[in-house]
Amino acid sequence: MPLNFKDISDAYDAGQWRVASWRKVPTQTTGSGIWFDLSMSPGNPIPNYYAAAPQIAIALKRSTDVGLDHGQNVNALGMKKYLRTFMAQAVTATAVPLPMIIADYLMFYPFVDMSLVEVVPMTTEIALPRYPTGAGVRILPVLVASQVGGAQFRIYYTNSAGVAGRVTPIVTCNTQVVNGTIVTSTPQTAGSTGPFMPLQDDDKGVQLIESVEFITGDVGLLALVLVKPLAAMHIYDITAPVEKDYLIQHNLMPEIKDDAYLNMICMPSGTLAAAPINGLIETCWTTN
Amino acid sequence: MGGFTSQDNLIQNITTNGKFWRLDWNKLFNPTTAAVGGEWHTLFRGGGNPPADAIFDAGTNLQFQSVFDVTTSAGAMQHGGNVGANGDDFKVILNASGATVGATTVPGVLMLVDVLGWHRVTTVTTATAQSTVTSNTFTASSSSGLLLTYANDWSNYQKVRFTTTTTLPAGLSLNTDYWLVRVSSTTARVATSYANALAGTVVAYTDGGTGTHTLTCRLPRYGDGAGVQTFFFNPAATAMGAATPNLLLGYTNAAGTASRATPTSPASPIGKTAGSNSLILHSGATAAGKYGPFTPQQAGDTGVRLIQTIQNSVSYVSGTYAVAYVKPLITIPLTTIGVAGEREFLSQLPSQPRVYDGAALYWIYYSSTTTPANVSFVGHVDFGWS
Repeated sequence: MPLNFKDISDAYDAGQWRVASWRKVPTQTTGSGIWFDLSMSPGNPIPNYYAAAPQIAIALKRSTDVGLDHGQNVNALGMKKYLRTFMAQAVTATAVPLPMIIADYLMFYPFVDMSLVEVVPMTTEIALPRYPTGAGVRILPVLVASQVGGAQFRIYYTNSAGVAGRVTPIVTCNTQVVNGTIVTSTPQTAGSTGPFMPLQDDDKGVQLIESVEFITGDVGLLALVLVKPLAAMHIYDITAPVEKDYLIQHNLMPEIKDDAYLNMICMPSGTLAAAPINGLIETCWTTN
Repeated sequence: MGGFTSQDNLIQNITTNGKFWRLDWNKLFNPTTAAVGGEWHTLFRGGGNPPADAIFDAGTNLQFQSVFDVTTSAGAMQHGGNVGANGDDFKVILNASGATVGATTVPGVLMLVDVLGWHRVTTVTTATAQSTVTSNTFTASSSSGLLLTYANDWSNYQKVRFTTTTTLPAGLSLNTDYWLVRVSSTTARVATSYANALAGTVVAYTDGGTGTHTLTCRLPRYGDGAGVQTFFFNPAATAMGAATPNLLLGYTNAAGTASRATPTSPASPIGKTAGSNSLILHSGATAAGKYGPFTPQQAGDTGVRLIQTIQNSVSYVSGTYAVAYVKPLITIPLTTIGVAGEREFLSQLPSQPRVYDGAALYWIYYSSTTTPANVSFVGHVDFGWS
């Protein structure tokens, strides 16, 4: 973090900030209380479909995959960039209340086959592009081809301390079938967990995924995405935007790494189909 | 002068001392075409109070033109006149609001910007980088003071700096800002401050100097370009032609480094085909290359001081566009029809953005849905100063 408010003020006077708009219009019929990956929806930034060679880790970057416009790289100047404010609004009744999380999407393992009831190895030939130890990194299991629902699986991974062979608890998938569904979240299914896979006791993050084991299978395909959650907010209703000033309200501005691919997940109260969600992202950067 | 030293100081100044101004505004959206969700539009050409501009689609191709609140036919909002003796002081924004009762107009975001200047581009079928006009050589003579004669028609009160191959005319110095007091399309006198320029107090003639002299434009405010952003927009009543060119700039950044370029990664800004009246051409709902509202800058840059080249990478077929220099000041989200978005900049969003003397204040609007042509926006802005 910068040292004090004056650093921030000076940064703004020096032009070290950027504001940009974003707008997502999901086509998917999402479910109430089920987390959804907005990166897969049309709009600006362009959608991301997690399409690459199956089960081989591939990195996500602003420079190649777009994501939210947080400005250019600054680390080479001896500076760090921060998320200063974020605004979001939606006027579709079924969308709200709408908790949202902004995350740095680091890399993903494409097309994990949910029908293989065995331990399926993942291939990792690259390091995490940011947060290289994996500290704070979470696993986001995103549906990319329709499931029926109810499958159970666990993931073997190397944690942020570099210890291999760690394993998640077994989780149960929800029954939501649209692409972009985060399969581990649901308000109804026992054994589901929320947007992120739970980790083995005392683990602080994930460096890489070693393998995936479906205990009970299903049709469908997953992308296993390693993300670093950065910030959260909540659109309460359709008559007002949510505006977060992470300096004033939270006293903690999340750092945004160079070339970070930023996008959002959310948990609607009903369908997001054809529900525009729009807002602004403001970043600033300083030498501290 | 300018800001406040304490809350007591603020209250004293805006009450007892009367250093307070309320600006009420009422603007219409662009008069010809509805916006598509995800687009940014200027409200420059919309009617209302202040009225539609008549300047951004005028002037010489590629030439830099400055804009002030007093610029004739600019349609900038009147924020209460200058507060500094030299015309270089500032007020701060205390409160602001915006609202609309237009069906399907919300949600959206109003952004208040200080428009510093622009380049009008009429040669839109040229697909190569085109050099802007930001300087002229001049000769000096005597006519009720030092009179400069040059080729291009520079804006009244254009801020400039002078260079020479030998010796500048007496009264002019290197690396110093001056303001032109326009006499004709090819002549101007010179003032040593913006306030002097407004008052007609000009530099006296002593001699014409020796050698070849050059004037180079400066931004009227934020002269070094810190925090200055740019966007391409359609300032004309007619739509652009059918094309989707990359929209690229070559510029000097706020640090004074020339030959900076609009980045092409992750994608170059792309203009909309048949982009309508008032549209910020590279904004839009989807597809790569949509940036709203500002063009991206090269890594590490903190603003644009002056644009050297402008390029539409393929012919835009027809129409005209302009590239504006702006300083963003505040944003006001509008979520509900008939309900004002309100801002308070002391306690709610502690920032009190500065509005410098001469600032040309305009709104731009981010549509998240189909904003109809001519829909009405209303609101106010409160200013204070010490």
